[in-house]
Amino acid sequence: MAEPANQDKDTGAKTPKKEDGATAEPKIGVFVCHCGSNIAGVVDCGKVREAAEKLSGVVVAKENKYTCSDLGQEEIIKAIKENGIERVVVASCSPRLHEPTFRRCIERAGLNPYLLHMVNIREQCSWVHSHEKEKATEKATDLVKMGVSKAGMLKPLVAREVPVEPVSLVIGAGVAGIQAALDLANMGFKVYVVETQPSIGGKMAQLDKTFPTGDCAICILAPKMVELARHPNITLLSYSDVEEVKGYIGSYEVKVRRKARFVHEDKCVGCGLCTEVCPVKVDNEFDLGFGQRKAIYVPFPQAVPLKYTIDKQNCLHFKSGKCLLCVKACSNQAIDHKMRDEVLTLKVGTIIVATGFDTYEPMRKGVYKYWEFDNVITGLELERLLNASGPTAGHLVRPSDGQVPKRIAFIQCVGSRNKKINRNYCSRVCCMYAIKNSQIIMEHEPETDIAVYYNDIRAFGKGFEELYHRVREDGVEFIRGRPAKLTQDPNTKTITIRAEETLLNKITERDFDLVVLSTGLIPSTGSEKIGKVLSLTVSSDGFFAEAHPKLRPVDTAMDGIFLAGCCQSPKDIPDSVAQAKAAASSAAAPMFAKKVWIEPLTAVVDKELCVGCGLCTELCPYGAPELVPGEKGGMKANVIEALCHGCGTCAASCPQKAIAPMQFTDVQIFSELEAALHDKKQNGKKKAEAEVT
Amino acid sequence: MKEVEKVFIGGLKEELMEDKVIDESDLVPGLAEEIIKYGGKDVMTCLQCGNCTGVCPISLKIDYKTRNMMKCCQFGLKKYIMSTRWVCATCYRCYEHCPADLNPAEVMIALRHIAVREGIIPPFVKVAATNLIRYGQSVRPDEEIDKIRKELGLKQVHTHEEAFKSVIREIQVLVHASKYDKLLGIEEEVKV
Amino acid sequence: MINASNSYLYFFGCVIPNRYPGIEYAVRWVSGKDGFNLDAKDNLEFSCCPVPGIFYSTDKDTWLLLAARNLVLAQNERRQIMTVCNGCLASLSKATEYLQEPKTMGKVNRTLAQIGKKYTGVPVRTEGKRRIFEPVKVRHYVDIMIKDVGLEAIKEKTTHPLKNIRVAVHYGCHYLRPTEHAAFDDPNDPVMIDNIVEACGASSVDYEDRLDCCGAGGGVRSHVVDLANALTQDKCTKINAAGADCIVTGCPFCLLQFDNAQKSFSKEGIPVMHVSQLQALAMGIDPISLGFDTHHVSAHSFLRKLRGH
Repeated sequence: MAEPANQDKDTGAKTPKKEDGATAEPKIGVFVCHCGSNIAGVVDCGKVREAAEKLSGVVVAKENKYTCSDLGQEEIIKAIKENGIERVVVASCSPRLHEPTFRRCIERAGLNPYLLHMVNIREQCSWVHSHEKEKATEKATDLVKMGVSKAGMLKPLVAREVPVEPVSLVIGAGVAGIQAALDLANMGFKVYVVETQPSIGGKMAQLDKTFPTGDCAICILAPKMVELARHPNITLLSYSDVEEVKGYIGSYEVKVRRKARFVHEDKCVGCGLCTEVCPVKVDNEFDLGFGQRKAIYVPFPQAVPLKYTIDKQNCLHFKSGKCLLCVKACSNQAIDHKMRDEVLTLKVGTIIVATGFDTYEPMRKGVYKYWEFDNVITGLELERLLNASGPTAGHLVRPSDGQVPKRIAFIQCVGSRNKKINRNYCSRVCCMYAIKNSQIIMEHEPETDIAVYYNDIRAFGKGFEELYHRVREDGVEFIRGRPAKLTQDPNTKTITIRAEETLLNKITERDFDLVVLSTGLIPSTGSEKIGKVLSLTVSSDGFFAEAHPKLRPVDTAMDGIFLAGCCQSPKDIPDSVAQAKAAASSAAAPMFAKKVWIEPLTAVVDKELCVGCGLCTELCPYGAPELVPGEKGGMKANVIEALCHGCGTCAASCPQKAIAPMQFTDVQIFSELEAALHDKKQNGKKKAEAEVT
Repeated sequence: MKEVEKVFIGGLKEELMEDKVIDESDLVPGLAEEIIKYGGKDVMTCLQCGNCTGVCPISLKIDYKTRNMMKCCQFGLKKYIMSTRWVCATCYRCYEHCPADLNPAEVMIALRHIAVREGIIPPFVKVAATNLIRYGQSVRPDEEIDKIRKELGLKQVHTHEEAFKSVIREIQVLVHASKYDKLLGIEEEVKV
Repeated sequence: MINASNSYLYFFGCVIPNRYPGIEYAVRWVSGKDGFNLDAKDNLEFSCCPVPGIFYSTDKDTWLLLAARNLVLAQNERRQIMTVCNGCLASLSKATEYLQEPKTMGKVNRTLAQIGKKYTGVPVRTEGKRRIFEPVKVRHYVDIMIKDVGLEAIKEKTTHPLKNIRVAVHYGCHYLRPTEHAAFDDPNDPVMIDNIVEACGASSVDYEDRLDCCGAGGGVRSHVVDLANALTQDKCTKINAAGADCIVTGCPFCLLQFDNAQKSFSKEGIPVMHVSQLQALAMGIDPISLGFDTHHVSAHSFLRKLRGH
């Protein structure tokens, strides 16, 4: 890239000859921070400052107690103006913390903000070498030496502006997706909502009542669902999938496949005559197999949109060419077996991912015998049985004989907090939904004996502990112990649970008519595909990774893409709604601003050196480089700045050394290494000479 | 725990005992680290869920609970688990079912290592080790069985043969090199 | 179709040659020229595996050295080890796992050098200048019967199907767990021995808690024999309730436990035998060769039923 530079005899720092934008010997100012006692308690900042002052190119070196404070920043600005400083080195904490702060600071002093270099002498020095003060000081001095060398090679860069479409895409229409869409639409933005199921509502629509207040889930959700469908700013694309996303924040190009319902949405009025005559009955997915539906169906009575869908796998006409009973019954000619999938392309500025969760499926031949015993069910299945519009109209009965269960056991932490099956996280909602369901059951049948086998009870939220207290008053028994063995009486199908009751210090066996497994939450099945389409990373628990666990809980590493709801981590409805509102607000920011700045720390291609091999295009995790025809023929790499995150993968692999991220070119990095090792090299030479003589 | 005197308390017959409270003098520091050293994994992460006790065939039969053993290891309550070191059948059910991915059977193995190094060695261990050093097998050859072998047409147990002496020598070298003979106090058996 | 590409070394362990030689005869007969004619031979330098309940429990370093020594013998002959005992399987396969760690292997080899041995694993191929090694394969007799011989071949050779015989299969603990070592059958629902029993013409009966431990392992039989016998009694009660004529197992130590324990709680015990002995009977062997005299629980009434009385 640049020509090899002059090397300073004392410090080994290389100064560039004449690069565009860089002066031969820029004036460098060094600011060493004490950070109270965080740094000064270990590193002798005075010594570091003294050593820095002697380095080539440094015109002023100062110490400061809290450089990031108003006072500290004013001092930097003053020093820049008084000494004509052209490059600034701040030796303090991690750039992840205050790089933006100091960039803005030197910009106020009239410098290009990218002429700042931060040297980390806190997280990477004083905090990790707190027991070796002398060596830490030496290391800090070396780090500053390296920093000064690199600072001399920084080039001024200009951030770029890109426009932002005031249109948002929300993927997933459970309660989180619905809330985010409504908030954005009410702010005045156009919103596309894409939902893979025939109806919106997600898992919340399947629940009976919610904790801790006992609100009926669908009763509070349905008005929002209707509002979404009717909102003038929202276009609902139900029974659709997002297939491809290209572009970057402000101008995403999204390909959506609208799956064929075989029923024209604009003609179907939801009267239900077709479903009455349909001869095919299959297990109803919404009722988790406990109820049945027809091949032409709506998933549940409050479905939005209330349009019928034909299940191609089971429809007789698709299987054998016969039977058009539904077509004959429909008075609006809405049914059309010849419908095809439709693919749309949308242009949006921001995307909110709200793909939700699925519940953990217990193992076959496992301890809990979910597949082997009829009377073992999961928490979500219980919700359907308790629900008034469920398969048993809200009467809780045993699957084996339809009798009312008198003794019910809940088993907690099924599929959660288990390192063996690689689901080590806590699913957060199971303690409360078991407690809530216990209360509902006691309300219906006060004579029921309920036992909850738990490891810990997590009743952390508002109103949660009160509900926990209430069910204990109702007589629900809490047994601390993880069930070890379930057996079944072959005639009565009564289930015996053997567990060590740790608080009793006894192994007990108890009989139950019904056992409910409080299964945990896992990322939804569609989320893996969406993750690949959007290049989203996942955390160790498999849920989508937020940009920062504390300070950026709805952002992802991709600008313009946000997370809401359980797709980011298991949570209850209040938290999902709150996170959805946060995501909407975050997505609205760039859309209100109508433009965003793209950081210029992106990769740049030297078109002379590039041979168009395409290796960078294959390796880039963000899809930033692309091959375009070169001016003088052949193909050359070109970086789409808005997609580039400056990770350097391309630079590390380019066989021609033709591509590198700005501020991290080979010359800049090697100058740091030279500065660090120069003394040691000189000492080594002297030692070798001494040995020879 | 000592019986002090029988006292009639409000209709209940209770025996008064000393030592109802465990204090620091009962705790042995570093037991958890020692267990890790012998392959027992970090018992401190045990959540005491009780699943191991529930699946353990031994816990069903005697006044022993796997979970209590793990708790005593966490605390360093060595004296409470002294007598239980050899009741574990190493069936590994506890390991299969533990949600924290711990291995109480291996903890038992570690406790056995600690016991043996403190000189608590069950006699059958010495017998088996002696058999190994003498015959190359842990089960002592039996003359009656050897006769039956002959009747069946099988070769005699070859550990008697001259050729096998080199094998016995090899075994003795290994057992001596690992200082196992010294550990069990059977040095006189080893002739290398 | 018999997979004839594998070659084996017999590993009989300690209990079989010195207490139940009939099992040794049966294994040799079934795998020999009168049976499936497998490429299996002896290595007369094998020692005790070493028994996990004693050596693994008291000093892992010694256990690993002794096990590695046995593995080296197989490695040098480039043959798989055929074990007929759950305990030997556990001990030797766990050792191969420990030896996959380079530091451990290095440490073991430094001591093995004193007896002129070195564990490397079995060389399988060369990649450029490097030789690639695979750990020595340790396989249970049942695994070999199912995967290498195959149920079809077993059925074919069943010339004397064991009609009307009801068998209770006892798998034992180290056949099933820990799952990372004993990975050849389903640990939650094993079927291989049941399949062999059925292929021999007998019927395998299901009994309550069939996967429970016999009680002998880990030193329990040696240290607290009453406890071991209590566990065995539980199993025998459930086996009797299912109406079995005999117990079949793949482990001689479980066999020893069932054989010895029953006299402490029942007058007439159920005979217990090794899978190989049952197979041999189905393949037409003269029962006298199976050494049932060394068994404590008499097989007399079982053999009478077998002959149709």
